Amino acid sequence: MSTKTTSLFPRELVREAFTQSFVKLAPRTMLRNPVMFTVEIGTLIMLLVTLYTAFSSDGSQGSFGYNLTVFLVLFVTLLFANFAEAIAEARGKAQAASLRKLRADTPARLKLADGSLKTIRSSELRKGDTFFCEAGDAIPTDGEIVQGLASIDESAITGESAPVIREAGGDRSSVTGGTRVLSDRITVKVTGEPGTSFLDRMIALVEGASRQKTPNEIALTILLAGFTLVFLIVCVTLKPFADYANTTITIASFISLFVCLIPTTIGGLLSAIGIAGMDRALQANVITKSGRAVETAGDVDVLLLDKTGTITIGNRKATAFHPAPGIDKSAFIKTCARVAGG
Amino acid sequence: MNTELLGVIATYGLTLLLAIPLGRYIARVYKGEKHWSDFFLPVERAIYRLSGVDATKEMTWKQHLKALLTINLVWFVYGFFALLFQDKLPLNPDGNAGQTPDLAFNTVISFVVNCNLQHYSGESGLTYFTQLFVVMYFQFVSAATGMAALATLFVGLRERTTQTLGNFWMFFTRSITRILIPLSLLVAFILVVRGTPMTFDGRSTVTTLEGAEQQITQGPAAGMIAIKQLGTNGGGFFGVNSAHPLENPDYLTNMVENISILLIPIALVFALGFYLKNRRLAWTVFGVMTTGFILFVAGSITAERNGNTEIAAMGIAQPMGSMEGKEIRLGADASAMWGISTTVTSNGSVNAMHDSMTPLSGTLQMLDMMVNSFYGGVGVGFLNYFIFIIIGVFIAGLMVGRTPEFLGRKVEAREVKIATIIALLHPFLILVATAIASYTNTHHGDAAWTVQPANWLNNPGPHGFSEMLYENTSSAANNGSGFEGLGDNNFFWNFVTGLVLILARYLPIIGPLAIVGLLAAKKVIPAGGGTLRTDTGTFGGLTFALILILAALSFFPALALGPLAEYFGMAH
Repeated sequence: MSTKTTSLFPRELVREAFTQSFVKLAPRTMLRNPVMFTVEIGTLIMLLVTLYTAFSSDGSQGSFGYNLTVFLVLFVTLLFANFAEAIAEARGKAQAASLRKLRADTPARLKLADGSLKTIRSSELRKGDTFFCEAGDAIPTDGEIVQGLASIDESAITGESAPVIREAGGDRSSVTGGTRVLSDRITVKVTGEPGTSFLDRMIALVEGASRQKTPNEIALTILLAGFTLVFLIVCVTLKPFADYANTTITIASFISLFVCLIPTTIGGLLSAIGIAGMDRALQANVITKSGRAVETAGDVDVLLLDKTGTITIGNRKATAFHPAPGIDKSAFIKTCARVAGG
Repeated sequence: MNTELLGVIATYGLTLLLAIPLGRYIARVYKGEKHWSDFFLPVERAIYRLSGVDATKEMTWKQHLKALLTINLVWFVYGFFALLFQDKLPLNPDGNAGQTPDLAFNTVISFVVNCNLQHYSGESGLTYFTQLFVVMYFQFVSAATGMAALATLFVGLRERTTQTLGNFWMFFTRSITRILIPLSLLVAFILVVRGTPMTFDGRSTVTTLEGAEQQITQGPAAGMIAIKQLGTNGGGFFGVNSAHPLENPDYLTNMVENISILLIPIALVFALGFYLKNRRLAWTVFGVMTTGFILFVAGSITAERNGNTEIAAMGIAQPMGSMEGKEIRLGADASAMWGISTTVTSNGSVNAMHDSMTPLSGTLQMLDMMVNSFYGGVGVGFLNYFIFIIIGVFIAGLMVGRTPEFLGRKVEAREVKIATIIALLHPFLILVATAIASYTNTHHGDAAWTVQPANWLNNPGPHGFSEMLYENTSSAANNGSGFEGLGDNNFFWNFVTGLVLILARYLPIIGPLAIVGLLAAKKVIPAGGGTLRTDTGTFGGLTFALILILAALSFFPALALGPLAEYFGMAH
């Protein structure tokens, strides 16, 4: 597999994210992020103040243009936060979709009742169908061998670098979608409905991964909510202070001060950061089950692996040849190849 | 002028020279290692036996808090009734009256919590009995309470995966017998030699130069002044505190007292290093605190030296700097230095009237108390700083992508939650109390109280606002100094500040101890190459920025309407 790079803002994602940034304005969604929720309330108040100044001759709340500007700035802030989150989510979904598409495109040779073969897409396989595979084929979905024996490269799923033998009958008869047949031929009966195979579950993980908050995210949300509360107090207490000083402070000023004080930048981008982290990992072909896993990965000092296949391609590969002095290099390589070929 | 500056530098230098060995000594006292000071052991054992406590049993953090809060409640009840009925108790040669219930409530709280906010004047508001057996007694025990809480934190940071954190009674008793009493004796001795009274005689009558007769209040002052400075208490024997010639007779006593103010808070930071065998951490913490302190002192000295611009605008030269409300024998520099020392350490004694200092000095003094963790009060100063370490570790950990940890213990949601609440409490108390006060003053100025809210303030405008803001900040920061000029001995102020005092003392002790109790119970992860180090300049810088930014964002709106508005309103 190669590392896939996508442009930062693909056109269709941007369109989707743009719609989402309005949909996400619903208070129920906003409530999950207390910092931005307070900004939303501020925006609503500013909308009312703007309307009030538009239809009233009372000048104590500043001019219409001033209030409108404050309102628009706040509104754009909200949209931007939502947009960042939506685009991060959309990118995660797009990755999952492309994985699924790749899977659906894997050809499967369906064995019909009369024994003839018909090539279909693997997503069309149903439980109970039988399909046929021979050396070099990818196994389209999970199943049980009903006839034959084959050596199968399962390194992509289990990490085992050496091929394993699977045969009909006994307890070594099951095969997994996504693995590859290396030799011989087998007939396999599909054991699961589409969408329940091992690969499908992995793809679901990629999609659903963003839904749970990580421990650090929870702690950070608490901290940010705390700061927001302090600054709310700062702004509210300013009212009696200003009364003492015989100064009037407009509602727009209160709300602007409040929004400037609270940690909007980090609060607005918090969920986007988490999703972006997993997205980056996915680009390097690392599938993270959850944000928590990404966090734990940051603490890793030493990595211990029990199976070399987990991090390799599952096959031996010579990357360089270093002949001893006095040995001809091409002869050396040929000898090596002969030995490796057994 | 340069002699004055030299005096300030010498004062700080001497403090530092004394603080390092004292820190080493304190660490050994709390570790319970064999030491020459063990000749106190029989005395301590007698105290334990007399009070019926077991000073060898290991306690959990909850048991620590229970012991601490219980003993504080006992003191509160005892002190309240002693002050209420002081006129009926012995040692009252001047025939002073008992305190009103609201004043007694405020006074006893402020002394039990180590704040020493004084809404009375020592000459007429207390008797020798209450000065000694309530005020001075509380000055010892309240300081020792803070120190014992800090010792508990030391244990929690040193021990690996433990539920118990030493014994509260042992820490508490040793703080008094081995640290506070010996140092107090030394300081009191110097003060007596320089002329501070230590007598049980009543007022003495003297004939002044112009031939008039004057009554001079005296009393057992020297002993109390020593502990009030050393224990960051600050409650003076006389009303005008250490500006009074009998409390602070000359420049030498001024130096000794100023050193006493800073000594134990700084020594405790070094004690942390010696106790944990992690001197780099202690120096990092010390560096952050000192940077803040020096910046504040430099700012205040500059402001005082420049003098009052209104006076300069009248064409009057001020070669000695702004001398309003200051003592000629001490001068502007030493007063500015003291003003910052007393506010950073939550001491609260004054040798000049803060009310009369230039607005910028007033701003810095308030900002000191709003930060409340550059040195801070004995014991509790580092507890406050610890909260910022936890928040700093958390933020820095997220920035480098590691699970946040401090000294090998993971900092998780629960710790962050507690730290957030405690960090939030300080601005909350100051701002809400001041808001209530200004609301009452503006909208209910004519309320039918003994002192009408409209008559609280000596000065109108921003300065009046500063008076209220300072009073609440001083209460919340456990400081106890006053901006004066505020009519504070009435039900409103006695009650409001009393409430602020209780909350601002006990929650910031409970919070850090709970955190350290949780941390101590966790597994220690050995430091690796990627571990975020907390004993480096970078982390120190981050903590410093965090403290200042949080204080600035929370308090600048209020400061802008008080001292800063006053500053910009003056002639320039």
